[in-house]
Amino acid sequence: MKRTFGLCAFLFAAAAQAQWLNYPTPDIPRTADGKLNLSAPAPKTADGKPDLSGVWLTRGGYTVNIAKDLKPGEVAFQPWAEELYKHRLGNEGKEDPQAYCVLSGVPREDVVPYPFKILNSKGEIVIIYEALHSYRQIFMDGRALPKDPNPQWMGYSIGQWEGDTLVVQSSGFVENNWLDNSGHMGTEALRLTERFHRRDWGHIDLQLTIDDPKAYKKPWIVNLQLIASDTELIEYVCDENEKDLKHLVGK
Amino acid sequence: MMCAGASAQWLNYPSSGIPHLPDGKPNMSAAAPKTSAGKPDLTGIWEAQDQTYFFDLAAGLKPEDVVMTPWAKAIQKQREERDHVDDPLALCLPHGVPRVNTNGLFPFKIIQTPAVIVILYEQLGLFRQIFMDGRKLGADPNPSWLGYSTGRWDGDTLVVDTSGFNDKTWLDTTKSRPASEELHVQERFRRTNFGNMEVRAMIDDPKAFTKPWTTTTQKMHLLLDTEILEFSCNENEKDIQHRVTK
Repeated sequence: MKRTFGLCAFLFAAAAQAQWLNYPTPDIPRTADGKLNLSAPAPKTADGKPDLSGVWLTRGGYTVNIAKDLKPGEVAFQPWAEELYKHRLGNEGKEDPQAYCVLSGVPREDVVPYPFKILNSKGEIVIIYEALHSYRQIFMDGRALPKDPNPQWMGYSIGQWEGDTLVVQSSGFVENNWLDNSGHMGTEALRLTERFHRRDWGHIDLQLTIDDPKAYKKPWIVNLQLIASDTELIEYVCDENEKDLKHLVGK
Repeated sequence: MMCAGASAQWLNYPSSGIPHLPDGKPNMSAAAPKTSAGKPDLTGIWEAQDQTYFFDLAAGLKPEDVVMTPWAKAIQKQREERDHVDDPLALCLPHGVPRVNTNGLFPFKIIQTPAVIVILYEQLGLFRQIFMDGRKLGADPNPSWLGYSTGRWDGDTLVVDTSGFNDKTWLDTTKSRPASEELHVQERFRRTNFGNMEVRAMIDDPKAFTKPWTTTTQKMHLLLDTEILEFSCNENEKDIQHRVTK
């Protein structure tokens, strides 16, 4: 169900009257024919750190199953979680919170087929997401993760630099987080680590470590790639003219 | 009440870069900070002083200042007769501009970068982008709830022009004034000192109003040592069933 919805929304976006979708992004390296020079060196901020700012899109294929590259056994479910995952696989997304316009959550925002924009601000990095019209703050000011926070779909995030890699640690997630369309789960015990490495102008290697001992017997790792995009986010209003829910019947 | 009762995480985390008085209290009357480019820096968490303009965007104006066309009057009448049950905000749909700035119950955070200023709103978890790179507003954009915004500096005032709206937004709550796709909003944000900002909005919508009009000065204040919270409108939603018309 979500697959269909996601695809339809994406096609609609492409067909919409363009407003700034084709506006050339300023200050980016281009090849002689005007296209993005994706292999130009990664830019730096004034303080010499890699500058991750820009519009990014995840290389496709992980929306349905975030663990698609992993071998059997690498995602070692706890028994209750395995049962729940099987139930979700058989239920065609009927219980997917995103289908009800609740936030996609993190790290699912890293695998949905919608662009997002990274911005540098004072003491923090902000990501605004086209999907579900949402945002997230990653604090870079040295604060620690909160100990017993009010649970959030997007969690609480702090970041620090390890060489040229931005390491973002997040916790404080809701108990009912979905990591992908198939229903890999995250619980309040989830500790997520995201490692962003902008290896050249056009690419960020993004490695996720899912550490959720309540749902999985051991941590597991997902390697994603983000591609720089010469476009803009468009407005995504999940509740507008909603026609999908009645078709969400499960099995 | 929910906010105050929630297990506090970064709601009490001390803000940095605050000017202080000799007694150690924050000096909200200190000069407004500047960016390295010498422009006022609006970065911070702000909140409207109250809900005055959320209820009535024309508060403080004379009736002859805000004259609706027959088209707009008919829509406003219908909204009032239906007891405001069609307010998009109650259906988890975006406020529109400038209403999104006006609800004094929910803070918003301004993120100022050289090329774009982003406003993160707590209510509905919305954001707006205000492009500062000199691009022009499009002639025929895909209509949207929050429009398309460009900004420029007029002295110390940030002037934001927004158009490309759909015709479904409400300009305010109690008065439920309509707007059309012809709406052009010009907001003027001026940080008068460290702790305060004044906002005025010009409404130019020839389909809805016989002439452009400008709000009186809306007061916003800076919030210290706190953060914006996650707002998921659709989560555990129990309200819509109670929305009944007369």
